[in-house]
Amino acid sequence: MRSTFSKEITRIAQANDSVVLLTGDHGYALFDEFRKHCPNQYINAGIAEQNMIGVAAGLAKAGFRPFVYGLSAFVPIRVLEQIKIDLAHDSLPVVLIGDGAGLVYSHLGTSHQAIEDIAATRALANLQVYSPADRYELTHCLDLSIKSQTTVYLRFGKADRGDVHDRPIDAHLGDLLKVREGAGPLVILATGSMTRTAIDIADQEFSDAEVWSAPCIKPINELTIIAIARRASCIVCLEEHSIHAGFGSVVAELVAQHAPTRVLRIGIEDRFSETCGSYEYLLQEHGLDTFSIRKRIADFVQVSL
Amino acid sequence: MRRHNFRFDPQRLRMTVLDMAYAGSTVHLGCAFSIIEILAVLYRWHLRYPANNPNAVDRDYLVLSKGHGVMAQYACMHELGWLDDAAIKGYFSDGSALTGLSDSRVPGLEVTSGSLGHGFSVGVGLALASKRYNSGQKTYVVVGDGEINEGAIWEGALFAAHNSLKDFMVIVDENGFQAMGRTSDVMSLNSISRKFDAFGFETVTVDGHDQEALNQAIQSLQSSALETPKAVIARTIKGKGVSFMENDNSWHYTRLTKDTYRQALDCLERKSG
Repeated sequence: MRSTFSKEITRIAQANDSVVLLTGDHGYALFDEFRKHCPNQYINAGIAEQNMIGVAAGLAKAGFRPFVYGLSAFVPIRVLEQIKIDLAHDSLPVVLIGDGAGLVYSHLGTSHQAIEDIAATRALANLQVYSPADRYELTHCLDLSIKSQTTVYLRFGKADRGDVHDRPIDAHLGDLLKVREGAGPLVILATGSMTRTAIDIADQEFSDAEVWSAPCIKPINELTIIAIARRASCIVCLEEHSIHAGFGSVVAELVAQHAPTRVLRIGIEDRFSETCGSYEYLLQEHGLDTFSIRKRIADFVQVSL
Repeated sequence: MRRHNFRFDPQRLRMTVLDMAYAGSTVHLGCAFSIIEILAVLYRWHLRYPANNPNAVDRDYLVLSKGHGVMAQYACMHELGWLDDAAIKGYFSDGSALTGLSDSRVPGLEVTSGSLGHGFSVGVGLALASKRYNSGQKTYVVVGDGEINEGAIWEGALFAAHNSLKDFMVIVDENGFQAMGRTSDVMSLNSISRKFDAFGFETVTVDGHDQEALNQAIQSLQSSALETPKAVIARTIKGKGVSFMENDNSWHYTRLTKDTYRQALDCLERKSG
């Protein structure tokens, strides 16, 4: 997924010389390709994220198409107010790339883990929020972002979890993508890194469960979610993000209003990571490993059906 | 756009500010009065707006980073014909466009301010864009001395100097006050000039109410052969022009009554008479 990002951002910049890439001194080696082919479109803005967003705003006001790269713990979290006032307020076409979303930086602790970025950004007016699950969705999201007439936040989490699609995506902004067929009463909706997990879990234990991926969290195709809720007996939402105001909340809000159905939101509970360890270890600490998720879904299905 | 004679007479600008503040029963008079001459000099002699169009793509940029002084800019925009009398008289009325802090959706205002330390960096981005286009457009950013408490200002200063943004100029309204008191009591700034100097700016300190001196300071910096960004430290008086408001920080928050409005107008009329 990271090599796809490197390749795609270079392709986008080569095709459009108004594209500039700003980074807050992050992305070592990730932009080697970009710097080789588009050296004049690369700006290392230093360890100064607030200024970087303001500079991106100024560049966009003057006609450039800035992509701003950072870790999602910093872009958007550290600079939320700059995003609100300098970018979103004017619907400036700036694309914010938040790498390492969720628990990716498991060994580095709370400062580098981003479990609140969807919640924070989805409440900002004029801002779109994307969360691709694999390299195909990433390409799809980057294509959407360069076409966007407003500010975009694209979060990408653990990048090496494997593909969930087998071909390039042909979909519209906000569309959910069915990644596993199933006619059973349980439907699993997932976003980002948890989409691969959702498919694996369905394969292991819930063979008739349909699984959908949501590469766009805002806007989102509400009609698709409502149609799913009308058909399903229970819905499970999976995300590597806080259960408060994340993707699961988006689904729960829509379902509650339009087609009340039981919804289980699985994500990170209201707490920070307590320990240091591998990515897989921290998933387990937060109950996001396949064993824990399977058990929670099984319990939920039992009381729902 | 309706054309005016663009005199930008400081006393008349202050009267417009008073009219707005009285009409809207608003605050922030003192910090609008301290930047009147700065804005007058910029609009009169420096800012280029082709066809008097605030949205002209090749315009110079005036970024009011200290949005609290926006009434001073509205007064100038009124002289340019960008705002009509109704906008001044109807300030703060329900459904009106002009807010108490600058809003970039109003043509002529480049940024949305009020949260401080934002406009500086947006201005840096505009100046970087002009440099990349090689368009020669100038960017002027007006910040308050209290505002430069914000760390983002200094991030932007590093960036502007590192990128040799020679057409970027910050003008610091050094009125010596911020919301809760004197800057020297709240957060000592010591020498602002030496700070910008140390960040790689070419810096001039000037009386911020002396239009000729301001104009010359800006001109001398513009004609410099150095590739560095510029800083003008404008020594000003909060509440300048109305004797009972000068250096009285309560006018950051006080609303005009019929009496104080009349007294303030009298002060200004005596001066302009």
